[in-house]
Amino acid sequence: MEANGMIAIASAIAIGLAAYGGTQGQGKAAAAALEGIARNPEAQGKIFTPMILAMALIESLVILGFVIAFMIQGKF
Amino acid sequence: MKIIISIMTLLLSSSVYASGGFTWLHGVTQATGLKEHTITFLFTSVLFIVGGLLFRVKTKSLSKSVVPDKGVTYRNLVEFIGDFVYGQAKATMGDKNAKTYFPLLVFYFSFIFLNNLIGLVPGFLPPTENFNTGLALGILIFIYYNAQGIKVQGIVGHIKHLMGPLLFMAPLIFVLEVISHAMRPLTLGLRIRGNMLGDHTVLAIFSDLVPYLVPIPFYCLGLFVCFMQAFVFTLLTMIYIAMAVETHDHEEHAH
Repeated sequence: MEANGMIAIASAIAIGLAAYGGTQGQGKAAAAALEGIARNPEAQGKIFTPMILAMALIESLVILGFVIAFMIQGKF
Repeated sequence: MKIIISIMTLLLSSSVYASGGFTWLHGVTQATGLKEHTITFLFTSVLFIVGGLLFRVKTKSLSKSVVPDKGVTYRNLVEFIGDFVYGQAKATMGDKNAKTYFPLLVFYFSFIFLNNLIGLVPGFLPPTENFNTGLALGILIFIYYNAQGIKVQGIVGHIKHLMGPLLFMAPLIFVLEVISHAMRPLTLGLRIRGNMLGDHTVLAIFSDLVPYLVPIPFYCLGLFVCFMQAFVFTLLTMIYIAMAVETHDHEEHAH
């Protein structure tokens, strides 16, 4: 087990788990938003903004995982 | 005109990394000792100031500029951006606060949008790809909303905000809130840096593989990501300012 091999596996696990958890959370947020719009189509403008905000906050954690995956390889 | 633009998009679908590191501002970087992202940041600042002066020239007097122009002109685009940010600010902060903080918000939105967009032009690196630019913008927001909170509510009132609703849990909640507030500039900078880096890297890799015709969907994705990141930054700024200056005296709108 050399260092380079373990670094590669670590990077892959970091970004893979981050993407998995991120899509789970964003899927639930999108599902709730779409159901709210389906019940009440006039509230689309008011539902859209908090949905975008929630998606960006969830996605920022995924981006943090991506940054760690790059940092491990030394390409910051 | 459309044919020229489409041909240029086909032929120039390459980016900085693909062509071996050539940038338009390479000469300026070698002449002075500054780094690449600083030079590009100064370049976009100059573009922004020129754009602002151009808008000022086009709206000559206040009485004649009520009627919008016909079609797509520069003035209509700027007014569209202003209207969009003002609508969002009214929905988040209320009417009076939106009018007070509007100049800062529209500056943030259009400046970050311009900085992101210049990464899509072949031969430029976006300044927001570096962590330093995002951190600088985040620290400015941090200082600004704390200053506004202290100005509106006084120092004691502002710190009392951090203590939470119940009194006997104050030490625990105070520590959590301080850490959460201190992480805000960092996450603002890291979010925009990670998004721009990922988007630019994907574009570079696909331009390396197939230089013509295939990177066009990635340019569309890049446009979407640029707009969304500027929008999210502005939205979070609005929410931080709104949470810092809210007063519990009057409740205008019924929930």
